[in-house]
Amino acid sequence: MARPSALFRALIPRRWLSSLSRKITLFYGALTVITIVLIVMGMRYGIASYAEATINQEMASGSAVFERMAAMRYDQMQQAGRVLSHDFGFRTALATGDAPTIISALDSLKQRQGIEQAMVVGLDGSIVGYAGHLNKDFRDDLWKALDGGAQKGVVQLGSKTYAAVAEPIEAPTLIGWVIFANPVGSDELTDIARLTALDMKPRIMRVADLGHGIPVTKAGSNSAALRNVDGEQMLVQAIPVTNFLPNSHMGPRVLVLEYSLSKAMNGYMPLIWLVVGLGVVGVALAVAGSWYLARRLTRPITALNQAAQRMSMGEHAHVTIETGDELGRLATSFNRMVDDIAERERQITHLAFHDALTGLPNRTLLRQHMALWLAHATPAKQRALMCLDLDNFKSVNDTLGHPTGDALLCEVTSRLIATCGDSFVARLGGDEFAVVMDDDLRSPTALARDILAAISQPFLVNGHRIVIGTSVGLAMAPTDGDTPMDLLKNADLALYRAKSDGKAGYRYFETGMDAEAQERRLMEIDLHDALARSELELHFQPLFGLSQNRVTAFEALLRWNHPMRGSVSPVNFIPVAEETGLIIPIGEWVIREACRIAASWPEDIRVAVNVSPVQFRSNSLNTIVLQALAASGLEPGRLELEITESLFIDNVEGTLASLHSLKAMGVRVALDDFGTGYSSLSYLRAFPFDKIKIDRSFIVDLLSHDGATAIIKSITSLAEALGIETTAEGVENVDQLDILRDQGCSHIQGYYFSRPMPASEIGRLLKLNTENRQNAA
Amino acid sequence: MLRFLTPLPGFAVMLLTPSLAIAGDLELHVVDQMGKPVADAVVTVKPAAGLPNRPITFPWPLTMVQQNIAFNPHVLIVPVGATVPFPNKDNVRHHIYSYSKPARFNMKLYGQSEVPTYTFRTAGAVALGCNIHDRMSGFIKVVDTPYAAKSGHDGTVRISGMPGGNATVTIWHPMARTPDNEMVMQVALGASGVVSKPVSLTLRGM
Repeated sequence: MARPSALFRALIPRRWLSSLSRKITLFYGALTVITIVLIVMGMRYGIASYAEATINQEMASGSAVFERMAAMRYDQMQQAGRVLSHDFGFRTALATGDAPTIISALDSLKQRQGIEQAMVVGLDGSIVGYAGHLNKDFRDDLWKALDGGAQKGVVQLGSKTYAAVAEPIEAPTLIGWVIFANPVGSDELTDIARLTALDMKPRIMRVADLGHGIPVTKAGSNSAALRNVDGEQMLVQAIPVTNFLPNSHMGPRVLVLEYSLSKAMNGYMPLIWLVVGLGVVGVALAVAGSWYLARRLTRPITALNQAAQRMSMGEHAHVTIETGDELGRLATSFNRMVDDIAERERQITHLAFHDALTGLPNRTLLRQHMALWLAHATPAKQRALMCLDLDNFKSVNDTLGHPTGDALLCEVTSRLIATCGDSFVARLGGDEFAVVMDDDLRSPTALARDILAAISQPFLVNGHRIVIGTSVGLAMAPTDGDTPMDLLKNADLALYRAKSDGKAGYRYFETGMDAEAQERRLMEIDLHDALARSELELHFQPLFGLSQNRVTAFEALLRWNHPMRGSVSPVNFIPVAEETGLIIPIGEWVIREACRIAASWPEDIRVAVNVSPVQFRSNSLNTIVLQALAASGLEPGRLELEITESLFIDNVEGTLASLHSLKAMGVRVALDDFGTGYSSLSYLRAFPFDKIKIDRSFIVDLLSHDGATAIIKSITSLAEALGIETTAEGVENVDQLDILRDQGCSHIQGYYFSRPMPASEIGRLLKLNTENRQNAA
Repeated sequence: MLRFLTPLPGFAVMLLTPSLAIAGDLELHVVDQMGKPVADAVVTVKPAAGLPNRPITFPWPLTMVQQNIAFNPHVLIVPVGATVPFPNKDNVRHHIYSYSKPARFNMKLYGQSEVPTYTFRTAGAVALGCNIHDRMSGFIKVVDTPYAAKSGHDGTVRISGMPGGNATVTIWHPMARTPDNEMVMQVALGASGVVSKPVSLTLRGM
């Protein structure tokens, strides 16, 4: 027996069951069908049992009636027989053998009493009064029965079955018997049967003819047997009847009563059909009801499902709330969830296209905007893209902290938006911004100037007064690029150029910039390998002490012997090294190499090494210097580090602290390129430099400008007053030397005296120098 | 329908005649199919040697009295030719009849005042009935031999003074279930002494 669910699966396609409402409907429909079937089955069984019991009862009472009726009829006939047998005249006739009289008497009695057969059997076996023929065997049997005291019973006379009674005739001793017999054929039995409630088809039959399994029972007992006759359920009861002839060849006989249970059940069929009909209506109602209920239940679920699907496709799908029940609450929650997701999506989208800090569009949105914007740009009507980079923003972050830096960026953003009007302002990251110009009133140059002006105004952020500037690179569409990427790259190159031009300015993109950028990139790559390939080399330019009249020091100068390019100028590769950070390892190598070489020199000769601002700011400088000194065994006082004024611009206090710690090691510190840039005398006061190197531009001017001499004079005076040595750079002729000597400059450096030379030549120079001096002396 | 108004004159003579037989006796013990003693079984013996040539007499009165709505005695043995009076000692009237072949008669309603008589000329059993009272039943066994007697309540019947030799013994009983209600057997009688035999009868209505 399969489980119901398995049965369902076998009968019903799985696809069909994918609907919840169908499942519910099917379940309740099946449940109702089962209930109705059970009810009908139970009813049928109950009716059958009841009918069987009732019929049984009826048959019992019917059989009792039969027996009573039979007894009554026997009694009647016996009564008649007794009357006749005691009639004196009849007895006389019989005793005297008066057959005609006997026959006539019997005839008259038959008529009077309604008896069909009447006869007299003499003691000698003679039979008088029976119209038909009775054979010898029968007569013998009859006589024996009578002689044996037979009084009543069923007997076969001719073709008919009779109920017969016998009454002895005594005159005064037994001389014979009078026999009365009435047929008990179907007609007669049926007459009796009319007295019973049921038509039980009474008939008398031989026990031998009785079907198997039908017990012969006493009349009045409730023990009818159920028998299947040609597909009909029959209740059969067999009641024994007395045979008149006990030894009759007919054998024992019974009265059979039967009633069709099927027929009785047929009487109830309308009722059953009524229940079945009502059941069908009930099932239909149950199916319709559960369908309705399930639809009510599943419609919101379906709606939720559809809404969820629409939502997964990106729609903002709300569900209509129809009820206040759990499903209604679920719909409310669903709608709230949809709103929340939409809001989060909006935020995520905003974040994806906007900068979290300033709220400006980010690079992605910028590209999208530019793609549209580029479509409107024509050669006749060029449009400008600006890239901005704040100058010195890093130092703001470093000195005032990132919160202040972030706040400054927000302020910058506000000014940019205010300045740029309808143009599209984006933040590219860090302190970089971009402006996609969409302004017909101003020229790009005017806007760039406006921007420069706006940003150069001091900012007041978190109580700090901050002065920064910005550099602007411009690229024109479509001339400088017709894709956002090209345009941005080129604007960036222009910005780079503006930066390297000295910041706080703007530059338009030029075609060469691209080639330069390429060149720089190649140089970056080569420079990266230069150290490992030992392509770098130190040259030394002597510094001549005027008062000592001898070489007092050499400035270490870096040379790059590129295998393809040949000797590359420091002017070209040092900025690249600084930008890429390669200056740190290169600078370290320079310090170590300079110390190593200098250690071999006479003890009164120092070595001067240039320190890049980038290198200076790296925390490792002190350690490198210490290690270089220790490794070479050079006295710290023989090492002179040359720094530039630009160090003070960014971070005065940090620079001073670093300088002091170097000084504490015993290392000398020289201020290089003095007089250019933001030269401030306050530095000289703030730090006890060992030397000032006067920039070569002043030396060149010595012969052409009268004022130059005065400047040199004042510098040397100041230095002398502060106890600082002075070195003049770029001395190329004797005139310059004379002036410098006159103005009190302590050292000179330049071609006039010596070009930079490889370390290998230093020994010869020093020897020559000593000889010259001795000769001079 | 005969009416016997007076008793037969020879009646008293027969009663008084003593038995002169000096031969053997027959004693039968009559029982029914259940082994119970049967009373009123009439035994008649006809010796092969023949019967004495003299009138038959019996020691009991040859009278059939009706008393208490019954025949008394129930069974009466009379010789052929005997005239039997039927006195009514009840104070109701009786209508005595017989349809038996040896003697058919009707004695219509009579009381105590008259005594009908009937002379039995043929040997045989005569069943008596009363048309008024169906339950009245009596028998008169008319015999043609002096050797006759009926059994008592112990079922014993004894007949004495018969010549020896073979004899036909007939046992009759009104209820005997045999033709003519009798059973016949041959018995060898001794010259003297008693021949004793058990007799078993099948009775009707048992």
